[in-house]
Amino acid sequence: MRETSVTQTGATGRTLAASLGAAREELRTDIARGAGGRTALERYSDRADVLLRQLFTEAPAPKTPVAVLALGGYGRRHLSLHSDIDLLILFGGTIGATEEAFLRAFLHPLWDVGVVVGHQVRELREFEQLETDNPEFLLALIDARPLAGARQLFDRFSAIFHTASTHAFILRSLLDLIDQRHAGFNDTLYQLEPDVKEAPGALRDLSATRTIALLTDPLLLRKGPTEPARFDDAEDFLLRVRSILHLEAGRNQNVLGHDLQERTAELMGYPGAEAQQRVERLMSDYFRHARIVNRSLGWARRTAPLPVGPNLGLSRDGIRFMDPIQAARNPASWLPAFQAAVEHHATVSEEALSCIQQHVDRYRADDFFPEASDRAALVAFLRPARGLYDRLSEMHDCGLLGRVFPEFQAISWRVVRDFYHKYTVDEHTLLTIRNLERLTGDVKGGRQRFANVLAGLAAPELLVLSLLLHDVGKWRDDDHADESERMAEAALARLQITGAARDTVTFLIRHHIRMSLVAFRRDTEDPDVVKSFAAFIGTEDRLKLLTLLTLADVGAVSPDTLTPWKEELLWRLYVDTYNHLTQRYGDERIERNQAGLDRLTVALPADVTKTELERFVEGLPQRYLHLFAPAAIHEHVRLARNIKPDEVHVSLERVDAAVWSLAVVTLDKPKLFSNICGVLSSFGMNILRGNALTNPNGLVLDVFHFTDDEHFLEKNPDAPARISEVLADVVAGRIDVAARLRGRERGVQSKSSIRFPPVVRVSNESSSRYTILDIVAPNALGLLHRISRVIAEHRCDVDLVLIATEGGKAIDVFHLTQRGAKLTEAEQLALTSDLQRTLEEIR
Amino acid sequence: MKLIKSIVRPNKVDEVKDALAKLNIAGMTVTEVRGHGKQKGHTAIYRGKEYNVSLLPKMEIEVVVADAVADDVVKAIVTAARTGEIGDGRVFVLPVLESYRIRTGEREA
Repeated sequence: MRETSVTQTGATGRTLAASLGAAREELRTDIARGAGGRTALERYSDRADVLLRQLFTEAPAPKTPVAVLALGGYGRRHLSLHSDIDLLILFGGTIGATEEAFLRAFLHPLWDVGVVVGHQVRELREFEQLETDNPEFLLALIDARPLAGARQLFDRFSAIFHTASTHAFILRSLLDLIDQRHAGFNDTLYQLEPDVKEAPGALRDLSATRTIALLTDPLLLRKGPTEPARFDDAEDFLLRVRSILHLEAGRNQNVLGHDLQERTAELMGYPGAEAQQRVERLMSDYFRHARIVNRSLGWARRTAPLPVGPNLGLSRDGIRFMDPIQAARNPASWLPAFQAAVEHHATVSEEALSCIQQHVDRYRADDFFPEASDRAALVAFLRPARGLYDRLSEMHDCGLLGRVFPEFQAISWRVVRDFYHKYTVDEHTLLTIRNLERLTGDVKGGRQRFANVLAGLAAPELLVLSLLLHDVGKWRDDDHADESERMAEAALARLQITGAARDTVTFLIRHHIRMSLVAFRRDTEDPDVVKSFAAFIGTEDRLKLLTLLTLADVGAVSPDTLTPWKEELLWRLYVDTYNHLTQRYGDERIERNQAGLDRLTVALPADVTKTELERFVEGLPQRYLHLFAPAAIHEHVRLARNIKPDEVHVSLERVDAAVWSLAVVTLDKPKLFSNICGVLSSFGMNILRGNALTNPNGLVLDVFHFTDDEHFLEKNPDAPARISEVLADVVAGRIDVAARLRGRERGVQSKSSIRFPPVVRVSNESSSRYTILDIVAPNALGLLHRISRVIAEHRCDVDLVLIATEGGKAIDVFHLTQRGAKLTEAEQLALTSDLQRTLEEIR
Repeated sequence: MKLIKSIVRPNKVDEVKDALAKLNIAGMTVTEVRGHGKQKGHTAIYRGKEYNVSLLPKMEIEVVVADAVADDVVKAIVTAARTGEIGDGRVFVLPVLESYRIRTGEREA
């Protein structure tokens, strides 16, 4: 077999040498008559193609699909006489013995006849990760041309390789490479002995100009300072010169030195009695062409849009559609243009806005977000950020906003005459969003406190969505809040926003005037007013949202409506209500048969009885009914069934891509809360928020939301069972959680992401039943466990805990007793001192 | 003529306005103000940190009335603005020497 192979290779080699020799001779003849330009090089490239295809056919087929691609200059069909033949040999699967045999049979004959092959061998999957350390290779791939083999493999490669992010990376790399190369020539094209490949204005610049256009805007060069025909002439001229240099030097020589200028001028047929005259004419032509290339490159660099998404580019006039015709047919691509504009702090170009305006009436609302990912992107676009108001205004002006939200279209240019409002309803609405947007970034003065609240919101985009829809009911003349809510429900259904998110948005819209009425028209120093408002609002999250909505809404009525005086009133109501919700909620307990339990018992699941449910919720804090949806409460009832001492009933579920929720039901015992937190930390879970509740019968319900930063739950299918087992073992005292945590805690100490002095405050005044412990500290893995361990060491009972995280800040409120009573002053002092010391250690 | 200047709780403005309307006092100037009286503000706590809130939001209502009704106006304001708690505010009565209508330049008695 081996001998046969050698014989075949020998025969192939002889044929190859002869064919290649003939092709080279043909090119030499063209060059010698000054015609070694584009046409001749294309013909030579075609000859090389034929030879390579023949070699490909004769090589033993590998097991996995293979394709051979021409790269770089050869990919462009500009193969020069002594240039390397740059190839990519691409395999669809893993390279094994048969693939290596193919490579030997394909490449060795080329080496045998002295062809310099610049070859790269890759498996397709390698292109899934961008090779950022080899920008020259990526640039060569831009010109990749299929030569032989599986066409489908080439198509799959193209689909993987030609993405907006890869193009953006290549473009940035190309611009850097140009700068470095030009610096080597002192940034001038006027070289007495120019390198016709590398110098400014030479072939590489010409190719770079085309690449910039290809990566950004294929029509770019048609709009440039130079006619395409003159650009082509320059290319032909430079290639002709380069060919002569290769011919005369007998190698890959690209410098048009003094010694070769006379011969080059002669072969290219320049007239003149003296050699000096002919050379001057040659060089004059060279500089003229180089200037054209240089100018075009400079223009392309200034003008070309930077790829920022599929069919989207960032240019001087803002975000553009690279291909407006394709954009016109794909309305789902319009919103990303505005999204990209926000991300890149740019506008959307007039050209793109005109394109949208021209075609927007052809589409229905659903056409703009056909897939779940499009809907998620639309909602994410509404996160408050600088420029959002301007982009929404552009969307409104070109008709897109009114198509995406027909509800909003109903208030377009709507005039409602009242004493206070100074703007049309649509503009008032957009200005509310601008007010919110101005609470992002660097905010100074009195607004900083509101900015901090905004920064702590888990889903600020729901607030913007609420603002966008809060006044849509004003298309009618009567009471608008109900109508706004009704219309918003239609919009939410289209966007498939359901559950808690939907409830939040409709709540905010229905009650968007409520907080300003209470803050500005009621006596907020009256504790009953605050208590009643707290009962209405229910949770801190809704309080934060409504506070910000009110601030943004009042501020958009007129320039003078939101005075510092009103801001102060609003802030005080926020603080008093926040304190009431977090510190007094333990004082208000659920009573059997109280109003509000109806919503839980109306749609009772078959396996939960009314008596069972009432027995479970009785004695829990009132806010329990606000914090959890009926379905979650029903699940808690199930978890509490037949619970015995030392038993732990657990329910673990995924909330979203990043957040998990764990509900734990057990019977109270010392150090319980600390142990549960410790177990979560021992698995690397980062607790974000949660509630720990105890009812008068000693039943404990702890609900945690946490992130699994180490992906333990994703990587281990049995992870929920393992967490449950460890929880049971720790609660029953079979495992010491401190021992499990010891290794981790050493690492934990360096994990505080932000630094500020921790706040520890203990108060007996805020609640009638409990000593309230407020802790605000830099968040860190295991923080809650360490805090609660100190509390347990002081023999305090933890009856209720509110856990929150805002950015890198942990905000925890503990409701404590000791032997059934509030802590004495001495006990408070000792606890505070130990907590301060522990928090300082973590910092 | 008397200038009656009252500092009241923000939520009492409507009640004061209604009380004045019953006395046929139509013209008034209402201003948002901040300040403190004897109570000198109070301490507020937010997330474990204490804040001294020294200047409290109040409303200032100014009316100019004939001497003959000044007492009734003061009584009406005090009755309407009272809650009985600290922070209800103050009423000041000042003499007005002259008054001119800007549109006509006319001096009013």
